[in-house]
Amino acid sequence: MHPVTSPTAGSPVGPSFRTRAPRRRILRGLVAAVVAAPLMFGAAACGDDGADAGDDKVKLSIFWWGGEGRAKLTEEALALYTKKNPNVTFEKTWQANQGYFDKLATLTAGGNPPDIFQIDDNYLAEYAGRSTVLDLTSYKDSGKLDVSKFPKSLLEYGIVDGKLAGVAAGENTQGLVYNKTLLTKNGLPEPTTGMSWEEHIAWAEQVTKKTKVPGTQDPSADYKALWVWLRQQGKDLYKGKDLGFDEADVTRWFELWKGARDRGATPTPDVIHEGNSSDITKQLVVTGKSATSWVWVNQMPDLKKNTKDELGVVAYPGDPSAQWARASMYWSVFKGSKNRDAAVDVINFLANDPEAVALLGTDRGLPSNMDLRAKVSETATDPAMKQSIAVETELAAKFGPSPQVPIKGHSKVKSELVKAAENAQYGRATPAEAAAQFVAACKSAIA
Amino acid sequence: MALTTAPGRTGPTRSARSHAPRRGAGRDRHGEGLAGYVFLSPWLIGLMGVTAIPMLLSLYLSFTNYDILTPLSEVEWVGLANYERMFTADPSYWHAVQVTLTFALVAVPVKLAAALGVALLLNRAWRGVGLFRSLFYLPSLLGGSVALAIVWVNMFNRDGAFNSFLALFGIEGLPWVNDPEWALETLMLLAIWQFGAPMVIFLAGLKQVPSELYEAASVDGAGRFSQFWHVTLPMLSPVIFFNLVLETINGFQGFTAAFVLSNGTGGPVDSTLMYTLKLYISGFTDLEMGYASAMAWVFLIAIALITTVFFSTGRFWVHYSDGER
Repeated sequence: MHPVTSPTAGSPVGPSFRTRAPRRRILRGLVAAVVAAPLMFGAAACGDDGADAGDDKVKLSIFWWGGEGRAKLTEEALALYTKKNPNVTFEKTWQANQGYFDKLATLTAGGNPPDIFQIDDNYLAEYAGRSTVLDLTSYKDSGKLDVSKFPKSLLEYGIVDGKLAGVAAGENTQGLVYNKTLLTKNGLPEPTTGMSWEEHIAWAEQVTKKTKVPGTQDPSADYKALWVWLRQQGKDLYKGKDLGFDEADVTRWFELWKGARDRGATPTPDVIHEGNSSDITKQLVVTGKSATSWVWVNQMPDLKKNTKDELGVVAYPGDPSAQWARASMYWSVFKGSKNRDAAVDVINFLANDPEAVALLGTDRGLPSNMDLRAKVSETATDPAMKQSIAVETELAAKFGPSPQVPIKGHSKVKSELVKAAENAQYGRATPAEAAAQFVAACKSAIA
Repeated sequence: MALTTAPGRTGPTRSARSHAPRRGAGRDRHGEGLAGYVFLSPWLIGLMGVTAIPMLLSLYLSFTNYDILTPLSEVEWVGLANYERMFTADPSYWHAVQVTLTFALVAVPVKLAAALGVALLLNRAWRGVGLFRSLFYLPSLLGGSVALAIVWVNMFNRDGAFNSFLALFGIEGLPWVNDPEWALETLMLLAIWQFGAPMVIFLAGLKQVPSELYEAASVDGAGRFSQFWHVTLPMLSPVIFFNLVLETINGFQGFTAAFVLSNGTGGPVDSTLMYTLKLYISGFTDLEMGYASAMAWVFLIAIALITTVFFSTGRFWVHYSDGER
């Protein structure tokens, strides 16, 4: 249902945050969790006798974010596993993406993290760097975890500091989604993969003029757009433990979009701000406030549910080899789990069992196992799903190498980019000032 | 309020007790004490477990680099580093302080003034005044609710109801909640609109002002305004004091509306980054719980200081008519 939306706690999305408890309750819950931590550790230490002994009755806890559709598919796949391995049962917990990482962190603090959990590249390094996540390398080497059918770059995008921290649950990539209906109605050309950024902006300007709908969402606050653009300039978001760009790069990026705003290619700052939410339903291409939005390709089916118009999707502007096979999300195992082997086996099953993969479909992105991906692509029936499969498969041929997984502090870098870009958008700072502010904030965030 | 006759010092129960046999009473009292603690225990356990111990723990954590994910046994003591960073190296911290102070300095006085004004109007014997009291009280029942904040966001959007209203007069509105210049003001308005709770307390206070004072004042030739100035305000000052302290603390703690309005980011461009929101983001998004704990302690001390200032200046303007102070 929510294929690739990253549940960044920093930019809460989705309706679920609206039901968040007041701060006092959250803090109280937190401190309760903190206090409970030693108690739970104690309890766990006393009560783990049965886990590895005897007839191997194993109960694994598993936690993911997503909508009801995903929950249904995942539950079916897990039921299938239990059917094949009757000694293993699951304690399933899932929730909307908003607040997911708050909850995961709190569970970890409470000494009660799930055995298996879903995670994405925004937090993978954060968790892996703190020894919360089990290194799966030995399982890979022993063949207990089969990743031989994975594209190499997808596998490598789960490696942090030489450790295999997560197994890609699906593959996706950046996608520029446009309102096909609007363009056709006005006799305008559709954007194509390989257009330069300048061409894209010129095109957007035309769209604004002709349709009165701003041609493109200004993505200067969007880390994934900046990332692709940086890679096209021979730079990167991160390089080792440092930033892969400097102030001058960001200044040019902000200037590029200031130019676009001045030419009327983008909406007004307040509308851009609305679209900067990672909430699918607020993307400007579905709210009708812009002709394009900058998303992940496999968010297409979800976007489609929010508009009557027909949507199309191409790569971000510039050389598409700057894009890569990104793990939309991973499955990881908690390092302290009593049932690591069983947990790894479940992940292996979810990635490589033909029946399970067929059940899961492309909900978490294209299946990581290439053989099974081909099978799923052949049998897909949902038109939006077919479209995103087709585009991703087409783009996959042009992919460049994967960058390194974002480093610790990445979630803060993301939110600082939004702040700096909006400062420039609202005209409260020049591109150079905003870039200086952003780079300084990044440096302290990743320090 | 203050003029009502104090309850009798020697109630009948007390005198009846004193006639009971001594030894029996002693045993009773002992048993009662135990029973008292037993009945108190749920609260006591709650206080210790859910409030006191975690609070002290957070004081400890504020001197560490605790990041939630690392087990408590492995956190490192960093001394005053968190406090140092807060005061010297984190501009967004000071920005949050500024946002919170601006919010409280505007929203609290205006809210209290609105509450007092409406309370004065509703303190008369009009037909249907009860209905109006309920209506004005209603918004504060909905209080810090998330639903209300969502309604607010939709009302003050570029295409929200408020701008449609302005359009009737040919005025083109702004995207209030999405405009960094106006987002905080929109939040203030939401807080002010919920003036029902202090209003009800003001109403109760107004009912306690003895009518003979007004009669005496009007005999002396005092007009409406000077009656208000010389009778109502002084008689009401303890209630004003109470409301002021309470609402200030509330104002500083505002979280829900800012969180909802900004999707938890404090945006646009940090314009709604209230202190509590900054604290939340540090703790849960940036996983810097040690730093967030330090922030919470500074916050606690700041609120305590402000409250102390209120109490120490109170003696100059709060009049207790029973002459105790």
